[in-house]
Amino acid sequence: MTALVMLCVFLPMLAAVPAFFMGKKHLLRDGFSILVTLTVLVAAVALAMGQTEGATAPLLTMTFARSGFQAVYAVVAAFMWFCAALLSPQYFKGHHHLGRYHAFFLLTLGATMGVFLSADLITTFIFFEIMSFASYTWVVQEQDPEAMSAGKTYLTIAVLGGMVLLMGLFLLYDVTGTLVVADLSAAVAAAGKSPKLYIAAFCMLVGFGAKAGLFPLHIWLPRAHPVAPAPASALLSGVLTKTGVFGMLLITANILVEDHVWGYALLVLGAITMVLGAVIAVFSTNLKRTLACSSLSQIGFITVGVSMIALLGEENALAANGTVLYMLNHSLVKLVLFLCAGAIYAGAHTLDINRLRGYGRGKPAIAVPFFLGACSLAGIPGMAGYLSKTLVHESLVEYAHHAGTFITAIEWLFLLSGGLTAAYMLKLFITIFVEKPTADTPVAHHKLSPLSAAALILAAVALPVLGVLPHRLAEKLSHVMLPFVGGHESHHAVHYFAFVNLKGVLISLGIGVAVYLMVIRRLLTKQQRDRRIHYNPLEGRFSLEENVYKPLFRGAVWGLGAVCSLFDRVTDAAIKAGLFLLTVVCRLFNDLTDLLVLAANKTVFRPAKDPHEPHERRYAYALGRLYGRATKQDANRFGEVFVRVAETIAKTTRRLSGNFSFALLMTCFGICVILLIILFAGTK
Amino acid sequence: MNVHFLLIPVFLPLVLGAVSYFIPFRAPGHRNAYVMAALLVSAAAVWVAALTVPETTLPILQFTDQLSFSLRLDGAGRLFSCLSATLWPLTALYAFDYMKHEQHHAMFYCFFTMSFGTTMGIAMAENILTMYLFYEMLTVTTIPLVMHGMTKVHNRAARKYMIYSFGGAAFAFAAVVFLILNGAGSFVPGGHLSDVDDRSLAQVLYLFAFLGFGVKAAVFPFHGWLPNASVAPTPVTALLHAVAVVKAGAFALIRMTYYAYGTAFLSGTWVQYAVMAIAAATILYGSVSALRQKHFKRRLAYSTVSNLSYIAFAVTLMTPAGLLAAFCHLVFHSVIKICAFFAAGAVMHYSDREYVPQLEGLGRKMPVTFGLFAISALGLTGIPPFCGFFSKWYISTAALETGNGLAIAGVAVLLVSAFLTACYMLAPVIKAFFPRAGADNDLTGVKEANWRMLVPMAVCAAACVLLGLFAHVPVNLFREVLSL
Repeated sequence: MTALVMLCVFLPMLAAVPAFFMGKKHLLRDGFSILVTLTVLVAAVALAMGQTEGATAPLLTMTFARSGFQAVYAVVAAFMWFCAALLSPQYFKGHHHLGRYHAFFLLTLGATMGVFLSADLITTFIFFEIMSFASYTWVVQEQDPEAMSAGKTYLTIAVLGGMVLLMGLFLLYDVTGTLVVADLSAAVAAAGKSPKLYIAAFCMLVGFGAKAGLFPLHIWLPRAHPVAPAPASALLSGVLTKTGVFGMLLITANILVEDHVWGYALLVLGAITMVLGAVIAVFSTNLKRTLACSSLSQIGFITVGVSMIALLGEENALAANGTVLYMLNHSLVKLVLFLCAGAIYAGAHTLDINRLRGYGRGKPAIAVPFFLGACSLAGIPGMAGYLSKTLVHESLVEYAHHAGTFITAIEWLFLLSGGLTAAYMLKLFITIFVEKPTADTPVAHHKLSPLSAAALILAAVALPVLGVLPHRLAEKLSHVMLPFVGGHESHHAVHYFAFVNLKGVLISLGIGVAVYLMVIRRLLTKQQRDRRIHYNPLEGRFSLEENVYKPLFRGAVWGLGAVCSLFDRVTDAAIKAGLFLLTVVCRLFNDLTDLLVLAANKTVFRPAKDPHEPHERRYAYALGRLYGRATKQDANRFGEVFVRVAETIAKTTRRLSGNFSFALLMTCFGICVILLIILFAGTK
Repeated sequence: MNVHFLLIPVFLPLVLGAVSYFIPFRAPGHRNAYVMAALLVSAAAVWVAALTVPETTLPILQFTDQLSFSLRLDGAGRLFSCLSATLWPLTALYAFDYMKHEQHHAMFYCFFTMSFGTTMGIAMAENILTMYLFYEMLTVTTIPLVMHGMTKVHNRAARKYMIYSFGGAAFAFAAVVFLILNGAGSFVPGGHLSDVDDRSLAQVLYLFAFLGFGVKAAVFPFHGWLPNASVAPTPVTALLHAVAVVKAGAFALIRMTYYAYGTAFLSGTWVQYAVMAIAAATILYGSVSALRQKHFKRRLAYSTVSNLSYIAFAVTLMTPAGLLAAFCHLVFHSVIKICAFFAAGAVMHYSDREYVPQLEGLGRKMPVTFGLFAISALGLTGIPPFCGFFSKWYISTAALETGNGLAIAGVAVLLVSAFLTACYMLAPVIKAFFPRAGADNDLTGVKEANWRMLVPMAVCAAACVLLGLFAHVPVNLFREVLSL
């Protein structure tokens, strides 16, 4: 068991390294990819046939399990990778960066196997993230602006989903104390349902739903699937979205078991996705985009099935069987259809269905698989798609008995979407394979290689085989898968081909044909020169991504950024202002003494004006004259000399006595006198 | 080994570094050999000390009864010193190539070697006073490294660094004094703060200390020096501003919280909420700012601001699990971020490109550099199985374990930040490896980095992968060493 798990999960991851360096050697590289995927397929089958249940990897303490569902999906994934590897040599002729493509092709295989075989949610998460990042390179493989932009969306949603999923896991671990899937339901039952548990589950739903392509996080899907190379689109659409559904099933079966809030949330989201995808697909005029939107719609159908598992509780046998068969059917159908699209693109180098008009005529190796795929998708009796659609529809009808008109409305939406599915597949099939080619239609340069043909046939043949004998094969398969999805045993056999059950499909098909004839052929075509072509009136109108998410994200980043830069400025300014204020205060204190002195100089110690000036001069003059007479000289001259001397003396005295220093001196002198007095008084 | 051995890792680099300035080397190669030998001997001494020296105190100077300058190597110190000792010689190897075109080699290598000694001093400080002394010394020895370019921009950056660092330390000084007055003693797990009369004063002072030591850990609003300091030569930015200096700040926070104050004293008080909110705000702030930067190194610098607060956030959880998580991120972020900075430096050095939009198509010319950068980008975002995922895992589980509402909000902030991290870290990778068809970017003259740059990068990237793949090994080791 351990060895097989290691082979499934880690062999392709290790093989990615040599594959990277084989980029230039075509034969070796393609052969290597096919060989590795075949080995993994054999290992997966052996694992599914085996008996033992668990394994542990030495790294990261990862654990693996092999319940029925997990084993079946491991086989499906390996099988699809194998088919995609078979188609690759022809599809990629003349492309660039092939070493990179093959390396990440194998890396993603290992990661996807890891997700499906994981026994605890940490392991799931680790591989889930590796898968998301590795598959990014598929989306941007062509590196044209469209691919880069789609890749950006893909990566953004993947990272966002991954982070929210991780938050959910944290919260779940906090509530239950375990992330081992087998122990979860017991742990949840012990802990009881708390708001925290619901938050955890819905966080996980965001993560898994983003990967599955559930509304409103579906925006990456219709953009990424068409730009990726066809073998990669087949896997993105057929397997990678299923890892998201895998997660939703995990929550439904182990965490929020038979929970109505959970069930209704899934039901509403699933129904919106189902209708939305189908409507866009009807409008689309690009082959792969139609298929991508169809994936969206089908994921909606599957989610409705999952919600019925939750809502029906004990009686969910129909819903559970239907859901797992729906997943299987959708994986295989999308494998077939995208590989056909790849084969068409390899020959015609265009995906525009107006240019592909009549391209498929006379190419039965593409036409037959495409037809089988389209029939199964539309739910024609005899195909696998019929069984799954009928079962899910019946479960809806059953629940409508309990729950009333809301469910009946959903049931009608279900039939309507089924009808739209038939309509858009009719549109594709008739345009490409039935109508007469025009002058625009490219001519295939080379024929389908045997490997590619083998891939198409291998992929397509499973659909009718599963569908023809429902009780022999399909039911046994779904039965094996039931325990994992929390399905209960069925009490009575289902009569698939009874009229009651056929009725739903007939209504759907009726709607489909009507839509095709009335809407697609009339309203969605326009005259161009000599013929009517399909056109898409919705093209470039409104997109959730461009008109809602991007502005929101930009606004949020802008707003946060503005707040951050505001804080930056405020901090800077605060520090600068603080330093400035401190400097001012320091200077103030520095100059305080000087200021005091200055103030004192100007106020208390201001030099006094001399009021006696004229008198002094008069006396001095008189004194001078007296001195002159007495010495018998010129009395007047001596008078003036005396006045000058008197003025000088008066000025000096003023300077001395009006000065602060003089005052200090005088103070000192006074203090000295006082000291002396104290001294002498003390000594006596 | 005798406890006196501790003197060697601390003082040998200081002496050898100082001496190197005065030796007239004939050729740059001689200086490189000398520096490498000095660092290798010192690093070996650190490892020998970490593995053999017992956990006893080595008193060097006794100032007063309460104030002493002494060394001791406990579990946390062992981890931090070994981490730095391993990364220092690697960075030196990188620097030999990077610094070829720069001036002032004597000064650069002198202070580069000396700052190793001061960092070891912080790791091996026995009490808060010793740590404080080495903390200030670290600032002094690293200022010349920031100022290295000697232009106006460099001087301004260095001045800012100086003002912030010294200012922060001064801020923390009050708490240091308070701690010494109240049962001064060596760091012990659980804290040495004995009964305090005035609890509210102690709490306010803890906030001061958190913000003060948080300056080096670039805690908002005192982070401003770090993005500016990214003008320093890349080896400095990589080692000092992603590992040594900033982690010394984070280490000081750990010491303050877990070994000096003690979590029992702080847990559940308003001050815990305050510092936790500050840390969470910084996480968001750093990521948003990083997203807005076009300059490659500044972007990484803001990313460091954000990631340092992951550590600070883990510290503020104030539980043993929080301490473990803090150390996990301290170690894991070091290897991741140093690798990212090395790659950015290699790009600047070999292609003369500094801004992210100029990286279009460079992956073809420098596949190894950008491949290793991609590993670090995924690691930093926290994509399993790279090691960044596991440190975030431990931080988040530790936060949720506390059951504290703010801590749970912090986990949400962590994840938002992880998303933003993916946005700003993956953009260069995508630009380099998946150029838009027809993007005209003249790539002539661009060549792959030299082995001396690639080897340190590769070692760090390998560590990022291996620490992630075998995450339980380092985590168990941390648990054992920290005796949690």
